[in-house]
Amino acid sequence: MNVYRLLLRLAPRRLRDKHGREMEAMFRAQVAETRGRGRIAVAAVWICALADIAGAIPRNLIHLWRRRGRVGVPRERRSLMIGSDIRYAWRSLNHQRFASVLVIGMLALGIGSTVAVFSLVNGLFLRPFPFPEPDRLVYVNETAPKWNLEMTGVNYHDYAQWRRDQKLFEAIALYDERAFNLATDQGSDRMQGAAVTMDFMKVLGVHPVLGRMFNQEEDSPKGPLVTMIGEAVWQERYGGRSDVLGKELKLNSRVFTIIGVLPKAAEFPGGVRLWVPMQGDPSVNGSSYSYDGYARLKPGVTLEQANADLMRTQQVIFDTRDKEKVVTPFARDMREQFTRNFGTVASTLGAAVALLLMVACANVAALMLARALARRREMGIRLAIGASRTRLLRQLLVENIMLSIAGGAAGLAIGQWAISALITSLPDQAPTWAAFSLDGRMVAFTIATSVATAVLFGWAPALHAMNNDVRGAIATATANSTAPVRGRRTLWALVVAEFALASLMFVCGGLLVRAYDRVRNTDPGFDPSNVLTFTIAVPQVKTPDDASGLAFRKRVVARMRELPGVKEVGMISCAPVSNCHWGTFYTAENAPPRGPNDADPIILNRAASPEYFSAMGIRLKEGRFFNSSDGAGGIDKDSTIIVNETFAKQMWPGQSSVIGKRVHLGSTPRPGSSIQWLSVVGVAKDVKHYGLEQPVRPGVYLPEPLQPRAMNTVVLKMAGDPAAIASAARAAMRDVDPEIPAYDMRTMDERLARSRSLRAAYSWMLAVFAVMALVLALGGSYGVTSYLVSQRTRELGIRVALGAKRSDISRTVLKGSLAVVSIGVIIGIAGAIGAGRFLASLLFGVPPYDAVILAIAAIALATTGFLANWLPARRASRVDPMVSLRAD
Amino acid sequence: MKTREYLILLALAEADLHGLAIARAVQELSEGQTRLWPVSLYGTLESLEGSGLIEELEDARHRPADESEKKRFYRLTRTGHRALATETDRLGAIVKIARSRLKPRPGGAA
Repeated sequence: MNVYRLLLRLAPRRLRDKHGREMEAMFRAQVAETRGRGRIAVAAVWICALADIAGAIPRNLIHLWRRRGRVGVPRERRSLMIGSDIRYAWRSLNHQRFASVLVIGMLALGIGSTVAVFSLVNGLFLRPFPFPEPDRLVYVNETAPKWNLEMTGVNYHDYAQWRRDQKLFEAIALYDERAFNLATDQGSDRMQGAAVTMDFMKVLGVHPVLGRMFNQEEDSPKGPLVTMIGEAVWQERYGGRSDVLGKELKLNSRVFTIIGVLPKAAEFPGGVRLWVPMQGDPSVNGSSYSYDGYARLKPGVTLEQANADLMRTQQVIFDTRDKEKVVTPFARDMREQFTRNFGTVASTLGAAVALLLMVACANVAALMLARALARRREMGIRLAIGASRTRLLRQLLVENIMLSIAGGAAGLAIGQWAISALITSLPDQAPTWAAFSLDGRMVAFTIATSVATAVLFGWAPALHAMNNDVRGAIATATANSTAPVRGRRTLWALVVAEFALASLMFVCGGLLVRAYDRVRNTDPGFDPSNVLTFTIAVPQVKTPDDASGLAFRKRVVARMRELPGVKEVGMISCAPVSNCHWGTFYTAENAPPRGPNDADPIILNRAASPEYFSAMGIRLKEGRFFNSSDGAGGIDKDSTIIVNETFAKQMWPGQSSVIGKRVHLGSTPRPGSSIQWLSVVGVAKDVKHYGLEQPVRPGVYLPEPLQPRAMNTVVLKMAGDPAAIASAARAAMRDVDPEIPAYDMRTMDERLARSRSLRAAYSWMLAVFAVMALVLALGGSYGVTSYLVSQRTRELGIRVALGAKRSDISRTVLKGSLAVVSIGVIIGIAGAIGAGRFLASLLFGVPPYDAVILAIAAIALATTGFLANWLPARRASRVDPMVSLRAD
Repeated sequence: MKTREYLILLALAEADLHGLAIARAVQELSEGQTRLWPVSLYGTLESLEGSGLIEELEDARHRPADESEKKRFYRLTRTGHRALATETDRLGAIVKIARSRLKPRPGGAA
């Protein structure tokens, strides 16, 4: 019972004093009622009573606040007086409500944007991967500079060699993204999946929720058809029942048996819903390079040692298949691999947001300084009548911490909202493996930022202003004269800093927006308007040979052509800006033999139907596009080919026309075998296949009969809105074959927009930050000038009384502040020209000293500066000498 | 009006009671649904007293003889009576509307 009495100390004093005994008695009675009902009942009573006391604490605080005006001599004086500090701070902040809200708002903006960017950085770079000992995870791939490929993808034969010979890896596994047509009752679904080697989950350190992993037999060529499903599929399709093991799924028209269920963490690197064994054949030498490798190092092994180990195992291949060492393996830190595209963007955004926070801080500092200067009189009096200095300092500190808590909380909310809005606006570009939710690190970061800003930029200036002797403070303050020179100078310095930072950000933001605009206006090489594309995956069992494959596609095209509003229907193996690449090698006829060090660039290989070019709006440079007779001889006969401009330039440099020239597949003619010659019939204009900002690779189009089964993308050129036909196209596809779904259905405009959504996101983020900085600078400058004018009323009154004209007054005020603003702008723009160099990689060729942007920035900032100072100046000119002189 | 305030007023409408007795009466009235714990009970009593709906019995003559001196007894004021009546009418009206909406609709699945 004594424990309860102690706990009641937490309850509101007024209740405790009056009803303490009765409350104890009541609790005793409540405990007594539970007697004989066991310990759990007693514990429940205690828990309820505790909750009861805890619930009263916030109510009590509210009560105290409501009564704050009526508090006499608070009893808390006996203690640390923190309570009265808080109450007093609340009163003082509440008194200057506008200024307080302004400070909180500025802190919230600054902290909110910082939190948003930090949560990006946190999700991408700091948060560990959700696997045990993530430091030991590495990404493995191969590189071939000669092929002009930084990453070729892992070759299965190479992988088998590493796996056999390596000594420093706990496990190496391959991963291949695959999608499946999943037969359902209604027809078919497209399901994202992956083919992995049996060690994949061992690498990640993930264990099945149910069932088991693939075994050696299942991961061998022609092994049994088994699959592991993700937890999501297990819940959605099987309701999480444990009898799912042994059930069958029809994937790509073949029946797979479910042998296990994997947890959510296994969905790495994102969106994988089911897994099948890769079933690669190590005895096939020199097959394609296409897989991703993931590996787990043995404890204590460094990346260098791992790389050396890989190279050592690769030696066998260098000795036999790859004597020129064209393709070499490498391992790199997994985080580095996953964040390579985000490094520059993240640091740019980080720098921008740091600048923005500094502008906000300068603003807070200016406001707090002005406030403190205005309160010198109050503080002086309090010191004079015996308040201790520490008491005053603590009082100011408490005020600032309260502001920072409010600003930080609002900032955290804004930041969270902003980041979720950003992520949802980036469906493709946001990495699926990263999570951007709130975690302890984010909270710690927010608290640290807000307290640091408030203390450094709120408390310090207040101290600075206060730090003069009592007599001086009272004397100057009572006289209501202008602010002390030191304080005024600091205020102006803050305004200069604000404008410098704001103009720096404005220029950088402007440059990025201009770069974005330039990217957007880049000619993609095709005509995206009114074009709808979708993909079909035709399983091997449906069309076992080329002839049936071609016939099936002709059926699809014919059916699509019947849809209303369709102008042209084409098919292609690999559509532009769709994250698709298929590379091979070509050699020109009579080309000099390649030396061992000569480059052998990889060629983007596509198969296209004759109608594809007009459907996609691809332009012809010379020659002709395909007609139905191209490639009619089939795979073994000589045929025709269409090349792009880059291919023509690289293969036959300096030739004006390349029509009629011949190439063949492969790097070197295999001696003895007959060569299938492909003669160039047309040169197509370059298409920005990999995105508007990516360089164009040499590429070719083969006529459809040569590789009919590779063609998987249907291209519909419409007379009107292409999205309107989407459901009709899906239905038409079901008519052709209900087991083959039409998926990834998008207009080309959409694909283009997606390919630049990352740039759009960071450009606009920076632009928003720049505008925010401008607004903050506007507010800060306005506040400072207003304050200084209000402090000068007496002086201005005297001037007016002595005959100064109103225009003279406003001109004096304006001149002073505009000089300060222009110093800031000049510093900022000079800084921006310097900083532009660091942005160069993001600027897409826009020069960092772009005259248009610099001019716009100068005008915008000058206007802002003028606006900020015009109102206070006008107010100054309206000073009534009688009133202002009498005010004392 | 909060449920627990309403229930306390209702308990006091029958007899003048002290804290623990109020808590028991409330528990009984709400058929065990609402159980009041010390701090919230006395907090609510304070606020009800503050708004003049109940008052403490000052005069010892009004107290039942068998209760000890220490306990504070409360009774409903005139205002309290009126507030209770108004709130009861309001709740009654809501219940009436609710009943009419919850009537099984013709043709609906049973």
